[in-house]
Amino acid sequence: MREVGIVGVGHTKFGKSGVPFGHLLSLAAVEALDDAGIIPGEGHGVDQVIVASMGAGMINRQHGVASALVDSLNLRPAMAETVENGPASGASAVKLAFMAIASGMADVALVVGGEMMRVVSGWEATDFVATMLHPEAEYNYGLTLPALAGMFTRLCMEKYGIAETDLARVAVKNHANAMHNPVAHIQLVPDLAAITTDEDALIINPYVAEPLHVYDVCPVSDGSAALVLCALDIAARFKHKPIKIAGIGQATDTHAVAERAVPTDLLAVRLAAAKAYAMAGLQPEDVDVAELHDAFAILEIVEAEEVGFFPRGQGHLAVRSGATEIGGKIPINTSGGLKAKGHPLGATGVSQLVELTRQLRGEAGGRQVVGAKTGLAVNFGGFGNNVVATILTKGEE
Amino acid sequence: MPIEMSAYKCTNCGQLHHPAHFVCVKCGGREFEPIPLDEEATLVTYTRVYNLPEGYMKPFISFGIARFNNGLCIAGQLETEHPAAGMKLRATVGTVKEGIGQDYLGLIFHAID
Ligand SMILES: [Zn+2]
Repeated sequence: MREVGIVGVGHTKFGKSGVPFGHLLSLAAVEALDDAGIIPGEGHGVDQVIVASMGAGMINRQHGVASALVDSLNLRPAMAETVENGPASGASAVKLAFMAIASGMADVALVVGGEMMRVVSGWEATDFVATMLHPEAEYNYGLTLPALAGMFTRLCMEKYGIAETDLARVAVKNHANAMHNPVAHIQLVPDLAAITTDEDALIINPYVAEPLHVYDVCPVSDGSAALVLCALDIAARFKHKPIKIAGIGQATDTHAVAERAVPTDLLAVRLAAAKAYAMAGLQPEDVDVAELHDAFAILEIVEAEEVGFFPRGQGHLAVRSGATEIGGKIPINTSGGLKAKGHPLGATGVSQLVELTRQLRGEAGGRQVVGAKTGLAVNFGGFGNNVVATILTKGEE
Repeated sequence: MPIEMSAYKCTNCGQLHHPAHFVCVKCGGREFEPIPLDEEATLVTYTRVYNLPEGYMKPFISFGIARFNNGLCIAGQLETEHPAAGMKLRATVGTVKEGIGQDYLGLIFHAID
């Protein structure tokens, strides 16, 4: 199997886009091509283009998005596919591009993840995201991702003694990180007391799905992110020294969340991470920086445990101690995470790897983790029924 | 008393499922018979949701996951003012979503007085 690395990154500012969907995808794509030093047109050398989007068909009424993007970018006749794997579409697309290169079928691949969700109302967006739940056992009841996250959060709070303030601390940390990330959707840091214990905290930070408040839930964002991948044996063609994709793991879990044997476990996260560590020949202790899928604050805490950073039931104590802040033992969501950077579904898994690449290149500015050599990303689909973990490493100096 | 909502029992090994699976999670069997669910269940976890998806004309809905005496855990709507984990519930079947030309039936849990 050939080794694969990242030689180009691109990322739009997440938020409300205001441009057509194809244009939004192209913005991140050309930034990544420029970063790699690829000039579209004859001899561009891009063999494969993969676009990740969950809602292009349903929300934007566009199919065949990757084929359209290839033409728009003048990358014909590259192979092209659009990938839908819920909110894990981004990391899935990277995995498939990795496989195309590792197999020898392609030398260079462009992966673009994007979503434009703010063209519909909040309740239409909530309904669209909920269509990935079990149709009979969940969706038809009116269950949504926040509803499942609320029930999961309550179980974890009761079992491990997690307080609502611990969830808010995750949000405050991630918002503080996002202040140093120019592409983040939200640029403000909430005051911990103002959103938890102050008299009017419930007005500023009302319940969405008890016990989850507004600040425990990610926003609805538009945005796109892109990566250029290549075989390490041809990486000398490009401007940047490659960041190696050292490990990828993926696992699935029950579709209906109520069927899980241990309802406080995120088994697919544990299994996906274990596979990625095994492939990379690394351990949780080797990771210097992590992007974990914090669509809900509780997920950052439990994912940090399931990937082996902390023992089960102690993730919230790590948040209290500052271990997950920049400068702590294992900085998590230096980009601002889904909470503050935003969560354009198909873009998220790609965006996480853009952040890790910037960290490992030493290009993360005010949010840089000094000396970071190894990064882990967890991209979480459904309510944890399809999870992709990816490990990036910096080559020897 | 059984209610008109089913568990799906593998005819080969007896494993119960809900929702229906195509292949038994225990033995790989592919034939199932519907077994009516009991009326009584125990609340495992719950939430009250304020941002409802398209199609619900209410300010909020409560949901719960309940454990039935046969061991199955199933999600449903929850109609009780003061939910608490471990409380006994009465499971009924009712309209959980009004659709165009078709209403959707599902489990609705009530507190046992
Ligand atoms: Zn069976």
